[in-house]
Amino acid sequence: MSGDKVEGTYIKRSSRWKLILVTLIVALLVTILVSLNIGYASISFSEILDILGKQIPFLNGSINSASISPTSEAIILQIRLPRVLAGALVGAGLAAAGVIYQGVFRNPMADSYLLGASAGASVGYTVAVLYVTSALTVIGLGTAQLFAFIFALLTVFLVLLISRVGTKIPTTTLLLSGIVVNIFLLAIETLMELRSGQALTGIVAWLAGGFSNIVWLQVWTILPFVFIGIAVTYFFTRDLNMLSMGDDTAQHLGVNTERVRIFLLAVASLITAAAVAISGVIGFVGLIIPHMTRLVIGPDHRILLPASAITGAMFLVICDAVARVATGAAELPVGVITALVGTPFFIYLLRRRKTSYSL
Amino acid sequence: MVLLNVDGVECCYGSIKILENVNLIVKEGDFVGIIGPNGSGKSTLLKSISRTLKPHKGTILLDNKNIYSLKSMDLAKQMAVVPQDNTISFSFTALEVVLMGRSPHMSRFQMETESDMAIARKAMDLTNTWHLAGRFVNELSGGERQRVIIARALAQKPKILLLDEPLTYLDIINQLEIMDLVKSLCEKEGIIVMTAIHDLNLAARYCNTAILLNKGKIFSAGRLDEVLTSENIKSVFKVDAIVKKNLVTNSLYIIPLSPPKSSPIKNCAIHLICGAGTGTSLMKILLEEGYSVTAGVLNVLDTDFETAEFLNIPVTSEAPFSPITEKTRKDNLAMISKASTVVVTSVPFGHGNLQNLEAAKEALKKGIPLFVIDEVPIESRDFTQGQATALLEGLKSGGAVFVKNQDELLHMLNVSEEKLKMAKNVPPSVADHLKAARAS
Repeated sequence: MSGDKVEGTYIKRSSRWKLILVTLIVALLVTILVSLNIGYASISFSEILDILGKQIPFLNGSINSASISPTSEAIILQIRLPRVLAGALVGAGLAAAGVIYQGVFRNPMADSYLLGASAGASVGYTVAVLYVTSALTVIGLGTAQLFAFIFALLTVFLVLLISRVGTKIPTTTLLLSGIVVNIFLLAIETLMELRSGQALTGIVAWLAGGFSNIVWLQVWTILPFVFIGIAVTYFFTRDLNMLSMGDDTAQHLGVNTERVRIFLLAVASLITAAAVAISGVIGFVGLIIPHMTRLVIGPDHRILLPASAITGAMFLVICDAVARVATGAAELPVGVITALVGTPFFIYLLRRRKTSYSL
Repeated sequence: MVLLNVDGVECCYGSIKILENVNLIVKEGDFVGIIGPNGSGKSTLLKSISRTLKPHKGTILLDNKNIYSLKSMDLAKQMAVVPQDNTISFSFTALEVVLMGRSPHMSRFQMETESDMAIARKAMDLTNTWHLAGRFVNELSGGERQRVIIARALAQKPKILLLDEPLTYLDIINQLEIMDLVKSLCEKEGIIVMTAIHDLNLAARYCNTAILLNKGKIFSAGRLDEVLTSENIKSVFKVDAIVKKNLVTNSLYIIPLSPPKSSPIKNCAIHLICGAGTGTSLMKILLEEGYSVTAGVLNVLDTDFETAEFLNIPVTSEAPFSPITEKTRKDNLAMISKASTVVVTSVPFGHGNLQNLEAAKEALKKGIPLFVIDEVPIESRDFTQGQATALLEGLKSGGAVFVKNQDELLHMLNVSEEKLKMAKNVPPSVADHLKAARAS
């Protein structure tokens, strides 16, 4: 390809990016709609659209509310919609956090749980279930979820503290201390699980992740974390591009590497902690979705971040739908589905590529 | 006027001092080669100037501003760095990588404009990478990638360009192209260029200023010809080197000689009868093996004569393109009589140097061992209607040892030397005993 042609496509890329995002958003909306249709009680698409339309100002006048059964309305608005939206938000958050971690660490193995957010949350949740008797609820989160959130953040903070050398936090040290703290906390977790008796089933089920008991308040709680987190990160996507060239290069290109890196890690960790608190430890999304998206649209974080977030949302909504219907009465944990559904697709993408894939 | 002022800089890794009291003033138009052995602090100096490694002591001023108090963005507008390791693992296209060079000039909320694109394009035209624009950098060859990285540095529009061993992965044509490019930037755009560089000859050819580092200190700095002297090279690199002016490139060039071997000086003087380059490599090898070497008669301007000059080998010489006169013939014979061995190479013989074969005959008469390297058949190098051939035949029958090549010669020399040693060290009775044993 000649340089001029490349220049042309490069200049046109912002319109290409818009097209990608619009397509993805439409696909996400369709996915959400289809997902609302899936469930034990069968509710038709037209009824779902009516129920949703009724909620929208200016539109509700034209909708005939006579055709809506109150049961259906309650199922859609109080049970399915919050659940689907929570799935979308968690998926978007985990995928965005994964993009940030992979970009900052320049490591394909990095995912949203790299710095111990998941292990911390697990320990926090288990501690609360086993040893905390007072039941308190803050912004829709129960005691255990609150503990999960706080422990997740504390763990990340601890990892950052451990790996600090002088004023710098070297990438390799950070990676290693993340891994080590993860292992340490998992050992504690195992120990507590062994002594948990009756509570074990509940703990394990929560750890595997799921959206079965989501209420609206929880959706409102996680919303700002995911939206503000991704929005803020968007202004640092060019820095992420340069960080992926290496810390020194990024610095020579004018990035205040230390500050930017800590800031982005903090944002990603907040998103992850919030996501884990409401839905448990859902694996795979934060690792594979960024890779999938990168395979298709390339490594430029300016499009990679939003595209991954939307793809992650879509992916988790689909997985949760599958989890709901797959086995009838007893739900499968969504973390199992993400891996079962995602792996074959990822292998397909990897094999489809002619050249070897590098991060 | 752009000015870089390094004042009393000292850098440590842990408790180990890497740089000590480095003072430098570099100004616009300087193309500075930072040279020195491995571990002398070249990269560290560049790192401290590029703000990657903060010095423990001292200041670095760019246009009178301390670079460590500048914002990252502001420094990146003035200084670009081409790192030693240029591997990029993300599959960005070359154009995307070059456009990253515009980043310090853009605000956080901006996309690249047309003028950014024009600057990137110019940088890629200069580095001859425009045709690579759409290729992934991680799939380019080392040389192509290096040129893309340099284009990125140029897109920063820097006042000062730092390069850390930019030629490590490049073949010779890429090395020359990149150095040509950087030099023209230095001359035309007035960019200060500082490069750590291993290859002294490339440094000599392109840089106008040099900094010679030794064990973290500046050993010598200044104009290239003041720094690159054979004395400096000898004391820093521990290598004997010849520094000459190349008439083609009008620059200095350096010929390093092999580091002196531990082989002891042999008490054996060899006189070479050579010419037309047939003795050049032999002279060096014999010196390295510890022999003392003389040569003659050689015409001035003959390749072997020039080699002998380089190597400080005593030569009996004759005026350029002239037959051997009576006086030089006698001088040569005098030189031969001091030698303990004489070697005749596969030199072509004409009427001008036939005298040399006569001299060899004289040597044989005096009982000096004579070796003849018979690598090229005499028929093809005899331009004397058979006289030389006849003389060589005479030498053979007179007891000269004919060897096929240099290696065989060295082997024979070793053997005869061992024999000599044995004759010296071993009591005669034992030597006689041995002789008797062989005879039986």
